[in-house]
Amino acid sequence: MSAVIRAESLSKWYGNVLGLSDVSLEIENGITGLLGPNGAGKSTFMKLVTGQMKPNIGSVTVRGRRAWNDPSLFASIGFCPEADAFYEDVTGWEFLTGLLRLHGYSRTEGAERAAGALDIVDLVKDKDRLIRGYSRGMRQRVKFAQAIAHDPDVLILDEPLSGLDPLGKRKLIKLIKDFRSEGRTVLVSSHVLPEIEALTSRVVLIHQGKILAQGDIPYIRELIETHPHVISIRSSDPRRLAAGFVSDDSIQKMTFGADGRTLVVETHRRDSFFGRLTDAVLEAGVEVDEITSPDDNLQAVFDYLVGK
Amino acid sequence: MTEKRNVAAFGPSAGEVFAFFFFLGRKGGKARVFALLGLVPVVLAVVVRIVLHGRAEDVMAVFTEILMVFFLQFYIVLLSLFYGTSIVAEEIEGRTLAYLITRPLAKPGIIVGKFGAYALLMALMVTVNLALSYFIMNGTRLGEASLYLTFLRYAGVLGLGILAYTAFFAFLGAVLKRAILVGLVFGFGWESVIQYFPGSTQKFSLVHYLKSLLPYQPRGGGAGPLTILLFRLEPTSPAASVLILAAVAAAFLALACLVFRLKEYLFEE
Repeated sequence: MSAVIRAESLSKWYGNVLGLSDVSLEIENGITGLLGPNGAGKSTFMKLVTGQMKPNIGSVTVRGRRAWNDPSLFASIGFCPEADAFYEDVTGWEFLTGLLRLHGYSRTEGAERAAGALDIVDLVKDKDRLIRGYSRGMRQRVKFAQAIAHDPDVLILDEPLSGLDPLGKRKLIKLIKDFRSEGRTVLVSSHVLPEIEALTSRVVLIHQGKILAQGDIPYIRELIETHPHVISIRSSDPRRLAAGFVSDDSIQKMTFGADGRTLVVETHRRDSFFGRLTDAVLEAGVEVDEITSPDDNLQAVFDYLVGK
Repeated sequence: MTEKRNVAAFGPSAGEVFAFFFFLGRKGGKARVFALLGLVPVVLAVVVRIVLHGRAEDVMAVFTEILMVFFLQFYIVLLSLFYGTSIVAEEIEGRTLAYLITRPLAKPGIIVGKFGAYALLMALMVTVNLALSYFIMNGTRLGEASLYLTFLRYAGVLGLGILAYTAFFAFLGAVLKRAILVGLVFGFGWESVIQYFPGSTQKFSLVHYLKSLLPYQPRGGGAGPLTILLFRLEPTSPAASVLILAAVAAAFLALACLVFRLKEYLFEE
């Protein structure tokens, strides 16, 4: 299958700050997740793809055309920016119809498309309210609506799920998946693995402006599994609890916190460890106050993958 | 069948952007504030009408002061400063630029479209308030044709001023981050001072050319408190003034388009 979006040796920096470094990437039809912690370079990549920035080195093309200063390309691209920013003094309806007119649609066609897009995002009954009065979820949905209203082939979504409640997330995930099922290309960014996992199995890991890995979710999961998990257990008697784990071969390392109440465990097999933990607590007869996994976040995994 | 025009060319881009931002501009709070400010001379006109009982000579002299002091050297400069610099700056500060530059629109069309929309909005505000104050003050002479010709001349000069100032401020807004501060210094500092410099120096202010197109009609034989604000040192000919103001507007608008096309506007992430 041929690539819809192609980046070749793409680099971008802001003054002395590196935004993106030597990124080569091909994105095909379907949904691709761009996963990385905040500041990883996801938005920079998306701004380059959507022609909002010019590469310092290398090139980025969409369907074989360079994005920078090629306005006609945007007839077939929909972009949903990360920023919660709007023309606040207009209604959702005016916002959508106005932006559709900027695509060249007639008043009638613009109205029909706006109505369709608002229906998809379930905002028809709120269409005549000012955007400044919309809830966060409604704002995210109207932002998504403006990205799909002109029926683009390529949809670029920058952190579309951020700030949404679980129900709102589920609705938007369904909308994005429906859009994909019509044979189009979707590039969606997030810093939350489960969000990307809910959308697609095809993931690009980005960190510190570089592509760390790309592949399907099981491959990424496997990478993550090689990362020893750190689990902290605060209890009434951490040493007695530790004694129950001495013979457990899933444990790599155990240390005690300076407060005298914390046991810190490192394990490669987190599921196996948690399977044993309940029994060990009961056997030791200790009271557990808190169990935390301080590195159970994407940033820690990325740090591990880059060898920090 | 899909009814869709190709708007990627300059003309259609400018047209669609003009329509969108003329609509947005009318709905914005900024328009209401500036329209209210424009009522100041209307209130003054009512007062003058009552006090002077419509004495034609006195009324025209007072109106010239209002025109020169309020409209020419304050209102249109302030309007142009806020609307001109906002053509680019409001998109960056409001982080809405992505909605425009990810549409199939030519970038120069975005600038020219917004410029046109805001210039028309300003022209409407100025013309309505100018007309109200002018015709209220000259209410006893409404049958004279010369009254209307003079009004058209005044409105035309102010319109030309709006175009020249707005184009210059649009350029500043496209180039600078804090364009409004530089614009304030230019509009109310440089323009207020340079016009009184002798020789060629006065010609480096826009207000010099605008004043050259208007009559010098001070009250009290030139000894009034506002005389300095009406004073024209060495006026340029009307034809040259019109040409220079039009050239300034066209040149700075073209420069603003060029900068906007080439420059990347990076936002804080």
